[in-house]
Amino acid sequence: MNLNRPVIRLLILKDWQLFEKQLAAYVLAGLGALTLLGLARPWAFYLGSLALIVVVVAAACFAISNSLLVERKEQTLAFVMSLPVSPLDFTISKLLGNLLTFGVPFCVLLLGTLVVILSTPLPDGLVILATLLFGHILLAYSVSLAVAMQVESEGWNTFAMIGSMVLVNPFLMALGQIESIQGPIRQDAIAWSLPAALILGAQLLVSVVVLVHTAWWHGRKAAFY
Amino acid sequence: MTAAFAVSGLCKRYPEFALQDVDLSLPEGQVMGLVGVNGAGKTTLLRLLTGLAAPDAGSIEVLGHRLPEAQVAAKRDIGFASEDMRLYRGRSLDWHIELVRRIYPAWDHAYASELIRRFDLRPAQPLGGYSHGQRVKALLLLCLSRRPRLLLLDEPTTGLDPVARAEVLETLADVLRDEGRSVLFSSHNTHDVERLADSIAFLHQGRLVAHADKERFLDNWRRVLCLGGGAAEVSGWPELAQVRAAGSQVEIKVRAWSEDLPQRLSAAGLSVQRVDPMALEDIFVTAVRTGGAA
Repeated sequence: MNLNRPVIRLLILKDWQLFEKQLAAYVLAGLGALTLLGLARPWAFYLGSLALIVVVVAAACFAISNSLLVERKEQTLAFVMSLPVSPLDFTISKLLGNLLTFGVPFCVLLLGTLVVILSTPLPDGLVILATLLFGHILLAYSVSLAVAMQVESEGWNTFAMIGSMVLVNPFLMALGQIESIQGPIRQDAIAWSLPAALILGAQLLVSVVVLVHTAWWHGRKAAFY
Repeated sequence: MTAAFAVSGLCKRYPEFALQDVDLSLPEGQVMGLVGVNGAGKTTLLRLLTGLAAPDAGSIEVLGHRLPEAQVAAKRDIGFASEDMRLYRGRSLDWHIELVRRIYPAWDHAYASELIRRFDLRPAQPLGGYSHGQRVKALLLLCLSRRPRLLLLDEPTTGLDPVARAEVLETLADVLRDEGRSVLFSSHNTHDVERLADSIAFLHQGRLVAHADKERFLDNWRRVLCLGGGAAEVSGWPELAQVRAAGSQVEIKVRAWSEDLPQRLSAAGLSVQRVDPMALEDIFVTAVRTGGAA
């Protein structure tokens, strides 16, 4: 595989520079939500967890739509493709750039959530629920990113993003039906049950498979059009 | 002489359009104008020449690189700007210069500074505040300052006001003085092409209708006004692209002028009243309507 690494690095840096301020704003909003969570009161917990989900979902949608959909719509992609990059270079730079621009706020907020849970009176068992919740958003993000790289239609992309992200609600409800997950999250100890571990493993595996398949699919293309 | 690009049997099909069987080459150091109406296939051809699109059939070689396989190597020596290409509105020209400069080692900083002055651009201002003309100039600056061996420009003057258009054409004329640089630019403005190009290619409905040196185009084509009744007799002559009679007056557009043509027309019963050179626009329209070659 012959990659133009210096240009890929520059394109990733370009995406980071383009979106760093907005992503910092998402992180700040997420830290506000975590502050509410940390108050460990019922009203603050519900408000904070809702705000946290909204912020992480919004950051995911922002990263995808600005680096791919808006670039396509505003015709800046043509400028990038005119640079000395192959379709594979471009795909790798877009995937890694996206993983960086979304990954940084995602990791900051995931770690922040775990720290808040472990350092406040909230039951430590919530770590399992929070991890599965972030796992779902990561999976939804990976699927939306793959669709955005494959499909030019704005309508389908919006459907993929909104559709996969709003599934977080049924997902949480489904988790509530699994006793081996529901029980431990109320306890002050972190006890990963087999179903919880399997769900997390499946989320991570499918996310990786979707992203690798996207890179492989685009890497086979000889040209952009 | 080596070719800046050479395409042979080139085909590219889309659901609504097909570029068909194009054979075309440009010697290094030459300037070619690609003329065609909207939808003629100019953008498709330029995308194929940059490796952005892959052909369905035929071969493409640009600066010795086979495309689209070697598009990365080719694009290092190509400056490509198209009408549908935009820069980042929230970022300044300085930011774009820094990005492009780091990709192209041959970036000419002094020339970029000169173009900033000549185009009267504000390099620190976000491009969202630029007019269309300023954005086109900024894009050209980013292409020209990397000193490419081959410049591919898709409709570089479309949508520009007369002042901006003159500035862009003057700059391109300066660039073209560099004999080592090859340029292919598309336009539906034949005046721009007539001013800048060494050779001209006409594209229409995905086909190459005509291709020749500019001087040969202008020398070969003539508009001949005659009087007489022999229009039907001469209308089948291969060197005549169009014969139109209105009463006793006959207008003939000639695609292959020769000095003995007036005598032959007289022998056919047509008295030649005047012979005029044709403007490129008129040649283009006639060539497209008659499907004729130069």
